[in-house]
Amino acid sequence: MDIFLTVLVFGLLLGGIYGLVSIGLNLIFGVVRIVNFAQGELVMFGMYGGFFAWHWWGLNPYLSVFLVAPLVGLLGVAIQRLVIQPLQHEPNMQIFATFGLLMLFQNLMLMASRGEAYSVGGQVGSTVLEVGDLKLSLVRVVTLLAATLITIGLHLFLSRTMTGKAIRAVTQDKRAARAMGINVEKTFLITFGIGAALAGMAGVLLTPIYSITPAVGGNFILAAFAVVVLGGLGSVWGAYLGGLIVGIVEAFAGFYIDPVLRSAVWFVIFLIVLVVKPSGLLGQVGAEEVGFREQH
Amino acid sequence: MSSTDTGNGIATGPAATPGRRAFPAAPASEVIASARRAWLTYLGGMALAFLPFVVFVNDAHWLNIIALTYLMGGLAASWNIIGGFGGQFSLGHGVFFAIGAYTTAIFVTRWGVSPWATMIPTAIFAACVAMLISWPTFRLRGPFFAIATLAFNEVAFVLANHAESLTGGPRGLSIPFRAGLANMIFRDRWAYALLMFGFVALVIALSVWLRRSRLGYYLLAVREDEDAARAAGINVLAVKLKGMALSAGLTAIGGTLFTMYLRYIDPPTLFTLPEVGVKFALLALIGGIGTIWGPLLGAALIVPFENWLRSAYADSLPGFSLAVLGLLMVLAALFMKRGIMGLVEDLLKRTRRKP
Repeated sequence: MDIFLTVLVFGLLLGGIYGLVSIGLNLIFGVVRIVNFAQGELVMFGMYGGFFAWHWWGLNPYLSVFLVAPLVGLLGVAIQRLVIQPLQHEPNMQIFATFGLLMLFQNLMLMASRGEAYSVGGQVGSTVLEVGDLKLSLVRVVTLLAATLITIGLHLFLSRTMTGKAIRAVTQDKRAARAMGINVEKTFLITFGIGAALAGMAGVLLTPIYSITPAVGGNFILAAFAVVVLGGLGSVWGAYLGGLIVGIVEAFAGFYIDPVLRSAVWFVIFLIVLVVKPSGLLGQVGAEEVGFREQH
Repeated sequence: MSSTDTGNGIATGPAATPGRRAFPAAPASEVIASARRAWLTYLGGMALAFLPFVVFVNDAHWLNIIALTYLMGGLAASWNIIGGFGGQFSLGHGVFFAIGAYTTAIFVTRWGVSPWATMIPTAIFAACVAMLISWPTFRLRGPFFAIATLAFNEVAFVLANHAESLTGGPRGLSIPFRAGLANMIFRDRWAYALLMFGFVALVIALSVWLRRSRLGYYLLAVREDEDAARAAGINVLAVKLKGMALSAGLTAIGGTLFTMYLRYIDPPTLFTLPEVGVKFALLALIGGIGTIWGPLLGAALIVPFENWLRSAYADSLPGFSLAVLGLLMVLAALFMKRGIMGLVEDLLKRTRRKP
C-alpha cells in the first residue's frame, strides 16, 4: 500500500509537469485549433531563458519567469504573424511549417550550445519536503501548484474576460465573430502569444527539474498533444485532468510493467481515446471538428 | 480545359475554398495524356533519372549519394501514394519502413534467408499491419490523423527498443558481410545504386498506373472532398485502406533495401522523424505533393544538398544541416505549397498564355 501511494504521488507530480507544458498547447491547439509542433521548442526556449538568467545575473527561475515568459510570448506572436497566419486555413501546411520550425529551433540551439547540457545549480532543485512517510521534491510540488493556478487563471480568462470570450467566439465561427466586431486576426495573435508565453513559463519553471538540452522539447510535444486530446479539446480542466492521467499512467506503467514501456502505455491509451472518442474525456461531442470546418 | 478546372476532373469555381485545397491539383497534362503518352513520359523521366548513374558510375562517393537519392525518392513516392494522392498526411511511415528493415534483418541473420525471398512477404505483412492500424485511425481527419500516426511511430520506437530478443533493442542488428547477388550484398557501389534505381522505377511506375486507374481517381476524390466522395458512392474507408496498403508495402520494400545497403539498423536510424517519417513527406513537399515526379525531384535536390551540408559543417556546426532543412520546410509550406512541379507548371502556363 505504501508503495502504491508513493507511485501515485509521484505520478501526480509528474502529471503536474505534463499539465504545465500542455497548458499553452491547450490554448493554441485545444482552443483555436492551430497545429503547432514547435510548442516543445517554445518550452525549450523558456528553459534556456531561465538558465541564462540564472547563469548571467544569478536570477532565481521563479523570478526570471516574469521576464522570460513574455519574451517567448513575443516570439510566439512573431511565429503566428509570419508563419501561421498565412496558413490559417491549411492545417496540413501548418503541420509542415511548424515541424520545420521544430527542426530549425532545435538545431539552432544545438549549433549555439554545441550539444552541451546545462542545468541550474543551487539548493532549490534538491530540496525535499517530508509529509509523513512521503518524500516530495519541492520543485515538483511547486510545478503541480503552478499548473493548478495557471489552469484556474486560464479558465477565468476564457470564461470571464471579453478577450477570452472573443477567443472562443473566433474558434466557433470566424465569420459570425467578425460580424460581431471581433478583430479575428488580432485575436489569433493574442491567443498564440499567450499560448507561447505559457510554454515559455512552463520551461522556466521546469529548469530546476530537467537538464537543458536542445532536444528537450521532444520530451514534451507528443505528451502535450496527448494531454490536450485526452482531456478534451477546448476544455481547460480537461487538459489539467489529461495531464494528471498521463502522469499517473506513466508512473504506474513504469513501476509495475517496465520503465522502458512507460510512455508506450499512455500512447496506446491516447490512441484509443483518439479513435473511440476524439472529442476527449471532457470535450463536447464534435469538438474535434470545430475550427477545422470550412470557414472564411 | 478551362482554367477553373482543377485538373482532377472535379470542377470547382475559382472562388471555391482556397483553404480546403491544401493540395495542388495535378498538372493538367497528366490527366488528358493518353496511356501511351503517360508511359512514354515515364520512360523519358526514368532515363533522365538514370543519367547521373551513368555519369558517375566510377565514382564511389557519388554512387553512394545517388543510391541514397534513388532510395529516398522511392520512399517519398511511396508516401506520396497515400499522402499525396489520397491526402492522408501520415507521419508514421517509419513504422512500415522499420517493419521491412527488421523483418529482413531478422530472417537474414537468424536463418540465412535471402532478402530477395523476404522482400515481398515482408511488404505484404507491412501492408496488413498498415491496414490494421489505419482502419481505426482513418476516422480521424487532417491534423488528428497526422498526430495519431506520429503516436504510432513513437509506440513502435519504444517497442523496438524493448523487444531486445527480436530487434536487438538499442544495440541494433548488424548483418555480416557476405557478398553475392543472392545475399543482396555487393562489393561495388554501382550495384546498390542500380538496385535502388530499380526500386524507384517500380514505385513511380505504380504511381503512373495508379494515377490513371479507378483507385487513383477515387483517392483524388477522397482527398478533394471526403464527404462529396462518399455522397458520390465511393467507399471512402476501403479506398483509403487500399491506398495505405500499397504505400506501406512499398515503404517496407524500401526498408528491406535500406537494411541490406547499410547492413546495420537500430531504432534511432529507423524512427527518427526528421530522418525518416517526416523526411518522406518533406521530400514530396519540396518536389510537389500529389504529383508523379515530385517526390523523386525533391529527393534529387535535397539528398545531395543535405549530404554536402553534412560533410561541410558536421564538425564546425553540428545541427546546421537539419536547421537548413527545417527552414526550407517552413519556406516551402509558406511559398511553395505545390513544390517545384507546381512552379514549373505555373511557368509553363504563363509562357503558353503569351502569344
